[in-house]
Amino acid sequence: MNTNNNTYTVIYTTVICVLVAAILAFVSQTLKPRQEANEKAETISQILTAAQFADKAELQKMGNAAIIQLFNDNIDGKAEVVSVSELKALNYKLKAGENVPVPTYRFKNGVKVIPIYGAGLWGPVWGYIAVDDADGVRIVGAYFDHESETPGLGGKIKDDPAFRAQFKGEVIDAGNPAKPFDIVKGGSPAGNTEDSKVDAITGATMTSKGLDAAMDVWLGAYVKSLNHGGTK
Amino acid sequence: MEYISLFVKSIFVDNMIFAYFLGMCSYLAVSKNVKTANGLGIAVIFVLLITLPVNYLLNKFVLQPGALRWLGAGFADVDLSFLSFILFIAVIAAIVQVVEMVVEKFLPTLYASLGIYLPLIAVNCAILGAALFMQQREFANVGEATVYALGSGIGWYLAIVALAAIREKLAYSNVPAGLKGIGITFITVGLMGIAFMAFMGISL
Amino acid sequence: MGKLKETFLNPILKGNPITVLVLGICSALAVTVELKGACVMALSVIVVTGVSSLIASLLRNTIPNRVRIVIQLVIVAMMVILVDQFLKAFAFAIDKQLSVYIGLIITNCIVMGRIEAFALGNKPIPSLVDGLANGLGYGLILIAVAFFRELFGSGTLFGVPVLSALGYTNNGLVILPPMALIILGLIIWAQRSVQKDLQEK
Repeated sequence: MNTNNNTYTVIYTTVICVLVAAILAFVSQTLKPRQEANEKAETISQILTAAQFADKAELQKMGNAAIIQLFNDNIDGKAEVVSVSELKALNYKLKAGENVPVPTYRFKNGVKVIPIYGAGLWGPVWGYIAVDDADGVRIVGAYFDHESETPGLGGKIKDDPAFRAQFKGEVIDAGNPAKPFDIVKGGSPAGNTEDSKVDAITGATMTSKGLDAAMDVWLGAYVKSLNHGGTK
Repeated sequence: MEYISLFVKSIFVDNMIFAYFLGMCSYLAVSKNVKTANGLGIAVIFVLLITLPVNYLLNKFVLQPGALRWLGAGFADVDLSFLSFILFIAVIAAIVQVVEMVVEKFLPTLYASLGIYLPLIAVNCAILGAALFMQQREFANVGEATVYALGSGIGWYLAIVALAAIREKLAYSNVPAGLKGIGITFITVGLMGIAFMAFMGISL
Repeated sequence: MGKLKETFLNPILKGNPITVLVLGICSALAVTVELKGACVMALSVIVVTGVSSLIASLLRNTIPNRVRIVIQLVIVAMMVILVDQFLKAFAFAIDKQLSVYIGLIITNCIVMGRIEAFALGNKPIPSLVDGLANGLGYGLILIAVAFFRELFGSGTLFGVPVLSALGYTNNGLVILPPMALIILGLIIWAQRSVQKDLQEK
């Protein structure tokens, strides 16, 4: 068979491309409900970890149903879980300067969780900052996740408990909506919880910068809504 | 002004080789002499310059969530982003194939010296990397994407020609037998990378 | 049978994809900061190179020469994405670990390089063996580099404190990519001091 023939080449390429696209679309459609359920449970478990209800690893072992149960038991009122892709859409609007409300989750024990979203080095980074609802600015916990940061460097925002432990007790600078929180190299002397600064990750400049920018955009919008009266 | 700063930034600060270490395989393997390096460098600039704007438009009008809105309101919720990897790669591979055929036909000596590394431009991480960076940095228009492509391409080109020049000189120096060739090249690139880190602090 | 054995052993020592063929360097720099990541990546690459070489070899007589790059890449990318999609639905925790590597695996030159150089001209079984062996040779170097980088960069091995328990101050330079290149250079030096026939003039 002459495989260098023009017609053959075109037909072969078309068939392969259509076939591949069809297989991918089919698989992606059939698996979507399961994937979305998994993703929702993952998002909830990250929120719960930030709010210090349980540790991420413990939650992972509990399974999806138990995670959702724990969330529903503790959430104050009713809250729609905002998925990561919805955060992405919101991030577009926030960065364009649109006045959209930042979604928050309020728990019965007086903790409020604010999501953040931005671009890291290779892909998106996002996270959840839990604050004390009494003053709305004192951080009680944080959790971060990423899609494709370098394992061992940028990946530490998720994998290194010491990185997120730094946030505990820090305060968000409500008076400065342009820079409510700072992640910088050699950032904060240990024990200083009033300077709204934590230490960036060594060797992961771009990821740290991206996370820092995400904090500015989202916490900035959050702080503005605080200043305009009402902690809602 | 913005274009100029983006251009300079993508050449030096965000250099594909020294800041992100992308496109290493062909960079190390095809830098034995300046002439071949020159040829590959130009091929990479060319491929980047064509694929990035194409991928930008693909991303904007087909792949992004809600990108298909121009087809009608019913398509506003379609999210094809799961296809982005495969489509970007297909575009890149197609362009590389065209480049390969052109080089084979018109520059047979270059074709012979590039060998397997010419088709491997398709998997040159610098090119897919640029496409993914483009998707992530959300450039405002095709112009910015093109300037970014040109900048990254030139950055890669300069890096490979610089290394090739160093290697031509190195050929005359007394390197331990086991380190000769590729070994000393790895170490040279490592040192160049450390030097280039000085650019990281510059914000344009 | 002896031929197969040679096909298997060759990529591990004499024709190692990283130290001799210079393929797959980008990912070798990216995932060698810690041993755990290097092991995950090594396993994934062994599977992907093996299976994609097998498929490419099965299709080798039908692929039109002029579009072979596109076809090969589309097939490799499709398989990697399919695995990712299935894991996302049925083993979410594992997928969270692996998803970082998806892009790195698709653009790993070893996969394409072995299809181009071996699978397109050989029967399926030798191609499978060649793919697996190249993945293995790649993985070994990856793990060797990661061993030194994690030990001297973070003072740990698999996250367990080793040097840091002895009061070692972490060397921040080792976790940066340029140092991976230098370590690779030294590994090549060591390898070529033993296997003298690999030395370049």
